[in-house]
Amino acid sequence: MGTIVVQLIISGILMGMVYALVSVGLTLIFGVSRIINFAHGDFVMVAMYAGYLLNQYWGIDPYLGIFIVAPGMFLFGLAIAYVIVRPIIGAPQVAQIFATLGLGLVLQNCALFYFGADFRSVTSIVSGKTFRTMGLSFPVASLVAFAVAVLVVIALYLYLRYSYTGKAMRAVAQDRRAASLMSINVSKIDFLTFGLGSACAGIAGALLLPLMPVYPSVGLNLVIIAFVIVVLGGMGSLWGALIGGIVIGLIENLSAFYIGSDMRQIAYFIVFLLVLLVRPVGLFGVKGSERVGE
Amino acid sequence: MNTTKMRFIDRALGLPGAVALLCLAAVFPIFVSDSYALHFLWKILFWAVVASAWNIAGGYAGQFSLGHAAFFGIGAYASTILFVRFGVSPWWGMLVGGVLAALASVVLARLTLRLKGPFFALATIAFAEVLRIVVVNARDLTGGSQGISIPFKPALETLIFSGRTPYVYTMLILLAAVILLTFLIQRSWFGFSLLALREDEDAAETLGVDTVAMKIVATGISAFLTAIAGVLYAQYILLIEPVTVMGLDFSIQVAVISIIGGMASPVGPLLGALLMVPLSEYLRAEFGGSFQGLYLIIYGALLMVMVIFMPQGLVSAIRQPRSTWARICSISGYQRKRIRRADHA
Repeated sequence: MGTIVVQLIISGILMGMVYALVSVGLTLIFGVSRIINFAHGDFVMVAMYAGYLLNQYWGIDPYLGIFIVAPGMFLFGLAIAYVIVRPIIGAPQVAQIFATLGLGLVLQNCALFYFGADFRSVTSIVSGKTFRTMGLSFPVASLVAFAVAVLVVIALYLYLRYSYTGKAMRAVAQDRRAASLMSINVSKIDFLTFGLGSACAGIAGALLLPLMPVYPSVGLNLVIIAFVIVVLGGMGSLWGALIGGIVIGLIENLSAFYIGSDMRQIAYFIVFLLVLLVRPVGLFGVKGSERVGE
Repeated sequence: MNTTKMRFIDRALGLPGAVALLCLAAVFPIFVSDSYALHFLWKILFWAVVASAWNIAGGYAGQFSLGHAAFFGIGAYASTILFVRFGVSPWWGMLVGGVLAALASVVLARLTLRLKGPFFALATIAFAEVLRIVVVNARDLTGGSQGISIPFKPALETLIFSGRTPYVYTMLILLAAVILLTFLIQRSWFGFSLLALREDEDAAETLGVDTVAMKIVATGISAFLTAIAGVLYAQYILLIEPVTVMGLDFSIQVAVISIIGGMASPVGPLLGALLMVPLSEYLRAEFGGSFQGLYLIIYGALLMVMVIFMPQGLVSAIRQPRSTWARICSISGYQRKRIRRADHA
């Protein structure tokens, strides 16, 4: 009994970290540009299909594929930011919500168009291997995903904390107008943030590829999880996304085991509604951030 | 633009225009008896009804709900369960479903009162998804993910008819009622309060608008009407499944039609349905077989283009063509016209 609980908790943390990486991209874009990207999950889907294609045509391992997929998704993010996000920054809320929703619809159905609705999966060098210790066993793929996700989040944190551009991003997040008065090129920062957020989604997609099959609507499930995490952790907060991701990973795993796998979605939706009810700013959110978008 | 032209546009987009369109729909079945054409008309009317109902909460009160499938599903399931299992007429089902949906909307409103824009939209998605999962899992009552099929017993009492014309007229009556209600709301103190609340909640509150009550009443009316549309849908299609009646796609489509047509305008959702239903039907018929999902690609792209260039929808784009044009120019980086105008000044 004890080992099962420990096993569940650790698997939850491992998976939660990948969810956290998806959410970090979302929360970064929100924090800096005040744009909620409803298509974020579909970005992960695009990255997963990219990793799949690299594997199918050139036999590149999904983990090696990160070095192609992540820069690719960065450029993809820049292009999307130029065409779709630029006009909706500061536009009415309805435009922000539905423009990204429309983008998600387009991406999902493009994937359906090219790949069909089949589930596709990729085998990596670590597929099927498990790591055993003290009566516990974990797939190596989720350990790798955990480690890479942790590294990426730490790197992102250091970038935001110490680099000049990172500081500029935080300045824009705090006050757009003041930042522009300090001669920060706000629109450039917006582009860069969107690119970085998309690259996070790209890395998360590459890490998820050996763990779950890819299909056109995989993003919907992921974006809902990411939103729950971001709201739980607090909009715009990097550490919030991390803690939120782990909490959701735990809830998902434990509820799937104890109540049934149908119910795990209900479990995190209820957590989501409760957080909104009790503490709408989330665990680490800045006070008033839930009012953004007025 | 001269004033006569402007007055004409105002009328065309106001009550006279709505009445003209509804009359056109009313005489249509007299001349056309083709089953597909009537089904098509029913579809337009149906989406116009649900989009108009959404408009009361989304357009006027600014509550951008993406969970209207919950209310629609409550209506459809309540009346169908009463009808199939207990033999209760769907007329009563409408009342029960409507009231249940309104109650659910009050619960939702209480949960989400403090939330704005995107957060509200997310919470409504979560609400509808929870409800959908509950329906899928309550197999004994709801038939699970297979749904419930309704036995074909044509009668006025069961709201099931052997021809399509009566269906068109029932939906038309509902649409007329919803549009009339929207006009009444727009001209009432209630409507002004809603618009004030949408534009600036704090300011509305300082002016003595009870924003909490306003939000609850607006979403309640919207949910009630959506549930009634759900009952009519169930009695027409004769099959309800969780995916189609309670899925996120439904919620998105309702909102999209209303937004593209024009929010906070009584005829906007009708215009949206007139544009989007034929378009999606055409794209589906043309490309549905060979290019799976192509129609949704175009649908999504159109949605993006519309909200980027005309965030207030078609109605306001027709009303203020100049500011719409200016917006299109400034976003697409086309500056020549504006510079020329500045030269004149």
